[in-house]
Amino acid sequence: MADKASENDVNTTDTISEPGRRAFLTTTGLTAVGAYAGMSIPFGDNLKALAQGMSESDIMAGKEGLILMNDRPLNAETPAHLLDDDVTPYEHFFVRNNGMVPDTALDMDAEGWTLTIDGEVDTPLELSLADLKEKFEVITQRLVLECGGNGRAFFTPGASGNQWTTGAVGCADWTGVRLSDVLNAAGIKDSAVYTAHYSNDPHLSGDPEKEAISRGAPIEKALAEGSMIAWEMNGAPIPAVHGFPLRVIIPGYPGSASQKFLTRIWIRDQEHDGAKMTGYSYRLPAYPVAPGTEVPEEDMVVMTEMPVKSLITHPQSGTQTPSGEATEVRGHAWAGSGDIDAVDVSIDFGATWTPAKLEPAKNKFAWQRFRADVTLPEAGYYEVWARATDKNGVAQPPVVPGWNPRGYGNNMQHRIAMIAT
Amino acid sequence: MNTPLLFTRAALCAALAFGPAPLLAQAYDPMRPAGNPLTPAMPGPDAGAPAVELDPELGNLPVGPGAEDTYYQCIACHSTAIIRQQRLTDARWDYLWTWMVEDQGMYEPDEETKEVILTYLKTHFSSER
Repeated sequence: MADKASENDVNTTDTISEPGRRAFLTTTGLTAVGAYAGMSIPFGDNLKALAQGMSESDIMAGKEGLILMNDRPLNAETPAHLLDDDVTPYEHFFVRNNGMVPDTALDMDAEGWTLTIDGEVDTPLELSLADLKEKFEVITQRLVLECGGNGRAFFTPGASGNQWTTGAVGCADWTGVRLSDVLNAAGIKDSAVYTAHYSNDPHLSGDPEKEAISRGAPIEKALAEGSMIAWEMNGAPIPAVHGFPLRVIIPGYPGSASQKFLTRIWIRDQEHDGAKMTGYSYRLPAYPVAPGTEVPEEDMVVMTEMPVKSLITHPQSGTQTPSGEATEVRGHAWAGSGDIDAVDVSIDFGATWTPAKLEPAKNKFAWQRFRADVTLPEAGYYEVWARATDKNGVAQPPVVPGWNPRGYGNNMQHRIAMIAT
Repeated sequence: MNTPLLFTRAALCAALAFGPAPLLAQAYDPMRPAGNPLTPAMPGPDAGAPAVELDPELGNLPVGPGAEDTYYQCIACHSTAIIRQQRLTDARWDYLWTWMVEDQGMYEPDEETKEVILTYLKTHFSSER
């Protein structure tokens, strides 16, 4: 469906021809996803001669309406109005990859896949998928995954990385086992401090010695409620771009802690220092800085809990509605700290706020539905703003919070336009 | 084929697929990122910076000295889409260069080429100018 729509419609966006790109197809892995990115290359021409057995366009074929940020590595965000479902379906789930999608995932081949648990444990484990399914209680949890850089586009001066606006977030049903059950089966030593996650996705440079990404979580977080090892997303094997056949999920933390294509969890006696744990990656200044400050690397600390946030998913921004009549505005709210206490909405730029109806979370770290009826008094331009407050009384700010060099943690209130007629 | 292109979000990041277009007013977007080159040009006096000519032969990088060197240096690892999203300080570009060489295994060209590329990046993808 996405294929067809793209074939038909992509050329209306603009008509870029990119012969240079064609010349590189065979050697660099640049692929037919270019067609999605506004190129006029006939779609079918590019399905062959790819560095990987399958093209990114094949991978992305099931994605609908996403905004492509980057084609190598694959990164795409979801417009707010396509995130209206309680459970984000595959086709609307954002994509954030740090490396290439591994062949095992592209082929959906889990033959011989094992997960190693080692390091500061009493008994190192090597578990097959069957072991995981048989030896531990299987659970399904509805968990939000959000990129740490969601909202980066709003920082000034700019921060490097994909310029996510609001759509690097989704909430799916994940089936697997509790991370604590698996780690406790191995026996966590007192010396354990941090998890270190490993996977088989190739580094962008193609250097087999390099990890595309290897992040982790404090051992207390790994053992806490919510953290899990999953093999199903929304009742089906985890799709290729989302980490087939196995991923860890550390809910409430930046999505990068939830390693895809999981092969090993190394329990460490120090904070993990793998790829994208150090430098400025997924780190924040240890103290407040003015926008644009060059913060010394040693003053950057690992980002942990994601901030409280909400998104208006209905109606779509710019929708017209009759004045004087109630219109339902709805969306989701979530927080790295757990459940949400309240969501309020404003139709007067935050001057006054009205409580929205808030549904309970299906489980901790699931997003929660809010609904509010708004009545726009007279014809004209309005904005609807949403503000979530977590159980600690911490609410979303109206403006972009604390600038930081890589643009993480922007949880400013979401705003949509509504036109009263 | 070589028609100059406007530097718009559409050129950078076309939607993967298009559903039936909902009936929307041409409303101001309250979540329009400030100063983001990905932002669609607003109609009227707020159209923003003058249009930049893009080179379709070079992954739609803006035409200018250093575009070719930049293209071939960068696409060894990633597409130009990530470059075209940036608007960074000069210091951040210098840092990113070092990070890519030291952490990400980027091939480091001769000093002259490095200067050409960094100057190009700081010219076209800057928060300072």
